[in-house]
Amino acid sequence: MPLDLSIRDLVVRSREGRDLLTVERLDVAAGSKVGIRGPSGAGKSTLLFAIAGLLKPASGTVSWGEHRISAMGGAERARFRRENVGLVFQDFLLFEELSSLGNAAIAARYARASTRRSIVASARAGLARMGLESLGGRRVDSFSGGERQRVAVARALANDPAIILADEPTASLDRASADRLVQDLAGLASESGRTLVAVSHDPALHERMDLVIDVVDGRPLAGSAGHADGLTTNAVAP
Amino acid sequence: MVPEFWPEFWYGLPVFVQDAAWFVLLLLPALVTGLVVVWSFRPFSLVWAMIWRYRWTNALFILLIAISVGLGVGLIAQERGIRQGTARAAEKFDLVVTAPGSEVQMMLATVYLQPVDVPLIDGKTYDAIATNENVALAAPIAYGDSFRDASVIGTTPAFVTHLSGDLAEGRMFAAVDEAVVGARVPLDIGATFTPSHGVGEAAEEGAHEGAVLRVVGRMAATGNPWDKAILVPVESVWKVHGLPLGHAPGHESQIGPPFDPDYFPGTPAILVRADQLWANYALRSEFTTDRTMAFFPGAVLSQLHGLLGDVRQVMSVMAVVTQVLVTLGVLAGLAVLIRLYARRLALLRALGAPDRFVLSVVWTYAATLIFTGAILGIFVGMAAVGIISRIVTARTDVLVEATLAWPEFHLVAGFVSLTVLLALTPAFMALSRDVITDLRS
Repeated sequence: MPLDLSIRDLVVRSREGRDLLTVERLDVAAGSKVGIRGPSGAGKSTLLFAIAGLLKPASGTVSWGEHRISAMGGAERARFRRENVGLVFQDFLLFEELSSLGNAAIAARYARASTRRSIVASARAGLARMGLESLGGRRVDSFSGGERQRVAVARALANDPAIILADEPTASLDRASADRLVQDLAGLASESGRTLVAVSHDPALHERMDLVIDVVDGRPLAGSAGHADGLTTNAVAP
Repeated sequence: MVPEFWPEFWYGLPVFVQDAAWFVLLLLPALVTGLVVVWSFRPFSLVWAMIWRYRWTNALFILLIAISVGLGVGLIAQERGIRQGTARAAEKFDLVVTAPGSEVQMMLATVYLQPVDVPLIDGKTYDAIATNENVALAAPIAYGDSFRDASVIGTTPAFVTHLSGDLAEGRMFAAVDEAVVGARVPLDIGATFTPSHGVGEAAEEGAHEGAVLRVVGRMAATGNPWDKAILVPVESVWKVHGLPLGHAPGHESQIGPPFDPDYFPGTPAILVRADQLWANYALRSEFTTDRTMAFFPGAVLSQLHGLLGDVRQVMSVMAVVTQVLVTLGVLAGLAVLIRLYARRLALLRALGAPDRFVLSVVWTYAATLIFTGAILGIFVGMAAVGIISRIVTARTDVLVEATLAWPEFHLVAGFVSLTVLLALTPAFMALSRDVITDLRS
C-alpha cells in the first residue's frame, strides 16, 4: 500500500494558543522528493514535525495512505514512525559514545526480536552505501560532520522506511559534504521509491527535489518544481 | 493468616539461611522492577554510552551514594562492634566483690582499669570469700599505681593465668620485685621500672622511690585494657606502700594465697570465680552485705547497654532516616541528571522508540548508579568500621572488631530496592517531557 501524504485543514497551535501552521490542503504522492523552504520561524519545521506525527494538531487531518496519524495517540504514532519513517536532523543527534553501527542500528535495541537481525543488516548495508564501512567500530565522536550525518542517514534507513524526513540536513556541513549528502539523499529516494521531505535553506538540495514548497507566515504557498520529470506532487496553496 | 507449618519451618531453618532469605526478599522488588522494565529490550550499551558521556558527574553521584550508604552501615556495625568488644572484655570477670558503692564505677575500675579512689576490703572479708567452699578463685585486684600509661595491678599468679592462659613469653612473677606485663606494654623482658603512686595525670612520680621491679613475663593478648597493664604480686603493691605483706612473719617471701587475715592490708576489689555457674548467684547474695558489694560485671554492662538501647534505637532510626534522605537526594539528583540526556531521550522518542524502552533506558541508568553506589558503599562501610575500630581500640584498649554483618546488608538491600523503585518516578517524568522542545534545545 503506497503511503501518499494527504493533509486537510491542518491547524497547529502553540501552547499559548497562537496559530503556528495552517495547511488547508497538501497532497504528496508516494515516492516524491519534496523540499520545504522559507524564512526562519515561518513554520517549516513545524510542518515537518506535523507530518512526522511528532505533534498533535489542534484540528485537521494528516494521513499517510490509510494511516491517519493526526487521530492517533502517542504510542501509535511512535509505532508508525518506527515502522515507516526515517528521520535526519540538522545536528545529527547521534550517541557520540557508540560506534557507527551502534548508532545506525539503534532501532534494533527496541525492535521486536524477530526484526532485530534485519535492522542490523540494513544498518550495515546503509553504512556501506554511505561509504562508512571502513570506519568500523570507532566511536562516532571521532568522525567529521559529513561522516556523522551519513551515519544519521544510515540510521534513518535501517528500518527500511517508506518515508524519509530531514530537518536542515546540510546546515551543519561544509559545501563538499553537503553536496555529497544531497546526492545521497536524493539518490536513495529515487532508487527505492521512498518519499523524501526535506526542510532546507540549501538551493543545492532544492535543485534535486521534484517540488519545493515555500512556507511563509505559517502557510505553505504553491509549490515550484525542481526538476519536473515524473512529477506526481500536487501542493495547493490556500 | 500464616499457614500452620510455617513458624515451625521458618524457625527450623539455620539463622544464616533466614538472613540470606531476608536479603533476597528485600532485594526482590529491585530485581522484579528491573525485569519488568527491561524485558525484551536491550538498553545496556546505550545506558553505558550515557554514563560515559557525563562520566565525572556520574562518578561524583555514585561516590555520594557510596559515602552515605557507607556511613549508614558503618554506624550500625560500629555500634554493635563496640558493644561486643566491651562485653568480651568483661568475660573473664565473673563476679567482683568491692566495698559498697557504685557498681558502674567499680566495674569501670576493675574491668576497664579506669582510676578511682575506693575503700579497701579487709583481710577477714577476703578470707571469708577465699575459703568459701564454692569459690574456685578469689584474686585480690589492687589498683592505684602506674608506670607511664600502664596501670600497675597487684594480684595473684592464678589471676594472671585466669586472664590470659599461658604466658606469651617469660615466666610468672615469683617474687615481690617481679612483674608480668600485658601484651601491649612497651617493656621488654628484663626491663626494670619504678611504679608511681596514682594513675594518669594524678600520678606522683617518686612516691615509691627505691622500689624497682623487673619484668619477667608477658601475657598473651586478651583484647581488653589489661593488655596495657603491668601485673605484679599483690604483696609488691603492699610493700611499696609500706604495708604488711599479707603473710605471717616467717612467710614474708611467699607470693600468692593463702593470705593471713591478720596481715592482710586490704584490697580495693576481689575477683571471684565459682566452680559452678549457679554458685555465682549464691555467692553474689552471700557477699552482698553492709561491708561488701558483689556484682556481675557482665550484668552491669548489659544494664548499661540496655540503657543505651534507647540510644541504639535512635541510632538505627537515624541510620534509616539518613538512608531515606539519601534516597530523596538521589531521586532529586536523578531528575536533574536526566535533563542532561533530555535531547538524546527526545531523539529516541522521535525515532519511534516505545515509551517503555525510553523508560527502561532511564531506569537502567538510574539503577546502575544506585547499585554501583550501594556496592561501593559497602566497601566504604568496611573501610570506615576498620578505621574507627582501630581508633576506638587504641583509645580505650578494648579490642573492637567491627565487621559488616547481615543487618547492614539488609539495610543496603532495602535502600537499593526502595530507591530503584522510586527511580521510576524520574523515569516517568522524562516521558512527560515535550519531544519537540527537547529536540530543539
